[in-house]
Amino acid sequence: MNKPAIELQNLRKSFGLAEIIRGVDLNVVKGERHAIIGPNGAGKSTLFNLITGKLRVSGGSIKMHGEPVENLKPFDISRRGLSRSFQITNIFPKMTVFENIRCGLLWTMGYKYSFWTLVNRQPRLTERTDEILEQINMSSKRNDIAGVLTYAEQRALEIGITIAGGADIIMLDEPTAGMSHSETDYMVELIRGVTENKTLVMVEHDMGVVFDLADIISVLVYGEIIASDTPENVRADAKVQEAYLGSAADAEH
Amino acid sequence: MSVVKKVSAESNTTAPWISASQITPWILAIVFLLILPLIFTSGSALTIMNQMAITIIFALAYNMLLGQGGMLSFGHAVYMGIGGFFCVHLMNMIEYDNLWLPLPFLPLFGGLFGLISAMFIGSFSTSRAGTVFAMISLGVGELIAASSIIVVAFFGGEEGIGGDRTMGPSTFGLDFASQIEVYYLTATWLVISALAMFLFSRTPIGRIANAVRDNEERAEFLGYSQRNVRFISFCASGFFAGIAGGLFAINYEILTEENLNLATSGSILLITFLGGVGFFVGPIIGAIVFTLLQTVLSLYTEIWQLYLGTLFVLTVMFFPFGLTGLIAIHLQPYKLGKISILFRPYLHMVVPAVVCVLSLSSLLEIAFHAKHAAIGEEQMSLFGIGFNSHSFLPWMIVIVLSIGSGWMIRRIAPGLNESWDEANYVEPRV
Repeated sequence: MNKPAIELQNLRKSFGLAEIIRGVDLNVVKGERHAIIGPNGAGKSTLFNLITGKLRVSGGSIKMHGEPVENLKPFDISRRGLSRSFQITNIFPKMTVFENIRCGLLWTMGYKYSFWTLVNRQPRLTERTDEILEQINMSSKRNDIAGVLTYAEQRALEIGITIAGGADIIMLDEPTAGMSHSETDYMVELIRGVTENKTLVMVEHDMGVVFDLADIISVLVYGEIIASDTPENVRADAKVQEAYLGSAADAEH
Repeated sequence: MSVVKKVSAESNTTAPWISASQITPWILAIVFLLILPLIFTSGSALTIMNQMAITIIFALAYNMLLGQGGMLSFGHAVYMGIGGFFCVHLMNMIEYDNLWLPLPFLPLFGGLFGLISAMFIGSFSTSRAGTVFAMISLGVGELIAASSIIVVAFFGGEEGIGGDRTMGPSTFGLDFASQIEVYYLTATWLVISALAMFLFSRTPIGRIANAVRDNEERAEFLGYSQRNVRFISFCASGFFAGIAGGLFAINYEILTEENLNLATSGSILLITFLGGVGFFVGPIIGAIVFTLLQTVLSLYTEIWQLYLGTLFVLTVMFFPFGLTGLIAIHLQPYKLGKISILFRPYLHMVVPAVVCVLSLSSLLEIAFHAKHAAIGEEQMSLFGIGFNSHSFLPWMIVIVLSIGSGWMIRRIAPGLNESWDEANYVEPRV
């Protein structure tokens, strides 16, 4: 079989005495859409931050395409082809929409730290930026300042920045949090479109979104993965029902 | 040319190589710099203009850190100072050791020495942003200013190090003995540096410096090490500060501890903020206003620093985007075609505002004279009017005038605000 895009082995993270991630083993196969769900405080965001290099691991290993990447800096992980979005909107609010996307392109298009080229004089760069704007349906907002966009637009822009660099692993942290129904539907279609032929890992609370998008769902409860399977099997899993869906179902009654 | 334009109009992706709107400000600036000495011919005017040009380069370099990179430095005089000190030493080597180096190229070496010292200090100071960076810059600034007194061989102790700029090989028949030759040399370097710094802000690293300033975390997840980005901005800023230092060495032929200390570092922060950190031209305007106030105001009053400080505080409080921001906020009404709404309220405001400023400053002047003039010297003059600073009447007049004009301003202000809102009102898009 293919080498997994992401492979976690006995991953651990403690903050002081509190052990938040308690030995997670997880494989994300290349090209699949993988959702991580779990109750509040289960450690989903922490897991995300460990994989993307924002936090240092306390134990265990993280492999990307078979290579160990634990404790690398975020920019290093980004350069290896993993890109992420954030739970709280994380864009460049003072720049225009166009410039936001362009920032996401600069490194991977090889401009790096160059101070001998002018960004406005790079037709290829401008072209590519406009293509991505087209892809996320924001061409009409091209020259607007990002900070004044609506919440849903800012989230879409963030998806745009995340995919701009052409990373083959995309990690989205609650991409539809705080959105209305119609906005959520739009977002799901957008994510489906831009992550085609890529590996997607996302944390999400909205079960509709999860069951709609994901090929595989992993359930994280108190720092441990209790199930990792197809949506149907996860839905049928007794442990999951007890720990997570069950309590939610009880609340509905 | 027409082909290029057509392509750009069609695809809207490739800008023409150089457009008129981009190049016009630079041409105007160059012409302005060329004819300036023909308008102001006196020696003191030339001195002020040279001073201004040097301050502009330094302020622009400083804004590469503060405005572009979001790094607040309290010790940036160090890089200008070190560049300057090295240049004085080079001038002395030209004079005594037969070093062949034409004077016009000296600022380049100032820049290189500024760059080297910025690389050295930046290697640890830029590892963190925010308060940590500010504190390190403060510490390093004080350290170097203090060691300048101790390391006499290089910094010359309290007297500083002097040189003679006229000893180099003549360049195009110029020996730079006269002020006007130095002016044109300084102006040339001003244009080169300003253009280079402007273009720097348009490069990938320049754009990413902005990105790191706004959101360092996001930039890291796009593949950029925030530390490296800050380091590169810091080095570039040190380079241009060093050029300013080299020009300072040429102009004044002496550098002292004052060129390195906290007061100089503080004033460049003040200048940049006064002009407006968010704009490329901000530091230019700040440097011009500051130098004018410093040189002209100090001719007329001993307490000019008080006025400068007041102006700074008022700017920071009411116009955090600086003097340039004050101009920029008028673009919106102008674009809406409503700028004329503001004419009348502004006109109403002029007289009370001017009276208020003048009467308040007169009050300060009289109080200062009454307290600080030599004993027995009670006569003073303000605006050509001679009077006794210890008598009742002048006090009475300025106090009444300040209160009266202040009251007028308060009465007019709400109307001005209303007009302002009206002039900025955008019809809602349907």
